[in-house]
Amino acid sequence: MSELRVENLSKSYGKTKALDNVSLTVNPSEFLVVMGPSGCGKTTLLLTILGVLRADEGHVYIDGGDIDNLRISKRNLGYAPQDFGLFPHLTTYDNVAFGLRAKRFGQSEIGSRVKAKLSLVGLEGLEQRKPDELSGGQKQRVALARALAIDPCLLLLDEPLSNVDEATKADVKANLKETNRRTGVTTICVMHDPEDALELGDRIAVMHAGQIIQCATPKDFLENPSGEIVKQLLHHLLRGS
Amino acid sequence: MADKSLNEPAETKPRHEVPARGSLDKFNLGLRLMAGAFILFMLVSLFYLYVAVGNSWSLVANALFDSRILGALWISVSSAFIVGALAIAVAIPTSYILTYNEFRGKQLLETLLIEFPQTFPPATVGLVYLLMLGPSSPINIAYTYPAVIIAKLYVSAPFALSFILRRFREIHKSGLDVIAESLGGETQQILLWVLLPLSSIDILGGFSLTWARAMGEVAATLIFAGAISWKTEIFPAVVYLTAQSAPEVALAASLIAAMLSIVALMFFKWVAGRRR
Repeated sequence: MSELRVENLSKSYGKTKALDNVSLTVNPSEFLVVMGPSGCGKTTLLLTILGVLRADEGHVYIDGGDIDNLRISKRNLGYAPQDFGLFPHLTTYDNVAFGLRAKRFGQSEIGSRVKAKLSLVGLEGLEQRKPDELSGGQKQRVALARALAIDPCLLLLDEPLSNVDEATKADVKANLKETNRRTGVTTICVMHDPEDALELGDRIAVMHAGQIIQCATPKDFLENPSGEIVKQLLHHLLRGS
Repeated sequence: MADKSLNEPAETKPRHEVPARGSLDKFNLGLRLMAGAFILFMLVSLFYLYVAVGNSWSLVANALFDSRILGALWISVSSAFIVGALAIAVAIPTSYILTYNEFRGKQLLETLLIEFPQTFPPATVGLVYLLMLGPSSPINIAYTYPAVIIAKLYVSAPFALSFILRRFREIHKSGLDVIAESLGGETQQILLWVLLPLSSIDILGGFSLTWARAMGEVAATLIFAGAISWKTEIFPAVVYLTAQSAPEVALAASLIAAMLSIVALMFFKWVAGRRR
């Protein structure tokens, strides 16, 4: 249950500003959705927090401590990418156990933790399946269980719904919300669909052209949308629903 | 939290089948003719070797008991295996460095490590080593078994490097290494638990081609290591040196070498197929 604080983060690719002076605080146990159209900088923000990208300016703090110079392996962040990123040569069990083995936990500790996380996401009985024997929704759950197995400070989810079919979407959303409630892990979830964002987020940060233009609860977001861009997104949502 | 979808098996993907494009339209016929000409060109020499041996199969059988040919067989096969293993051992760390580090001159270095050795005449390679590590240098290993290994390694290792490097880059692009790192994996775990298992077929492919190239290499080895029976004389050297004086011996040696290579390469493919 950690707090994330992002301060004046900027990142450019040539002349394009992917992040333009972004500041943001995510409270302990909060489920924050970062939303915006593709190219708005939301994935850049996620990857900068993860440590894959280095910001040109600004800082990232977890519980007040600066993590800018920490290697990815030392940040203790759970990350599930858009394509789930499951190791194709490993079973469900070994995928979930990967981080625990890397952190040199004992066999029995690994066994009980993997079991607990698989039961948390409702995947008991599929321990010995390889990723190509799992459906999209199941893969998403393995990715989630694997990220949570290391007891991360933060959970970073990149478009968790983009690779699951419509029929499973509702299940995945319920699972994400329930997991957040039960584990209390602070979660940052990148999404492009306003409807999904409003349904999942405790708060939603709307990004446009590398900036956060509004960060509010779903209720505030609907009642007091700030500025034309947010209204446009909202209009699109209302039209879509 | 279990739901219905979890009890359903994952979609079974239809097996990839060869698409039914066998109909003989003109373009298809053209493709077949060109492919046929090339296949004929590639197979004719092997077939001719078989024909040329003609009725002299007893000669081939005798060659198998000939000490010079047995010696060449041992030197060729053992050195090719050592070269294959060494090439993999050095290609893995080199591929890792080239995948994960950006530095000036990287393109040039890659060219010098992979493509350039293919264009550099093997005779020149042998000559350079002979001058550098021969009788006139403080370290003289010319005309020894290690000289056979060194000459073959330079010419053959680029195959292993190009296979493994290409695969490491693919894995890096997929982001699986970043996932491993986010889970607490350090270099050792990323290499041993992710990169190597996912590259096993490519490592085997690299080994197989390196082995094959090392088996066929002659000029560099002949110049730097000479052709001392049971010490440095390799199969192609026997063929080269006996082609004029005793062509039937050369022919028998060639046929044995060809058979051996086909069997070994098919074996590597079989192993790779089982791992898939």
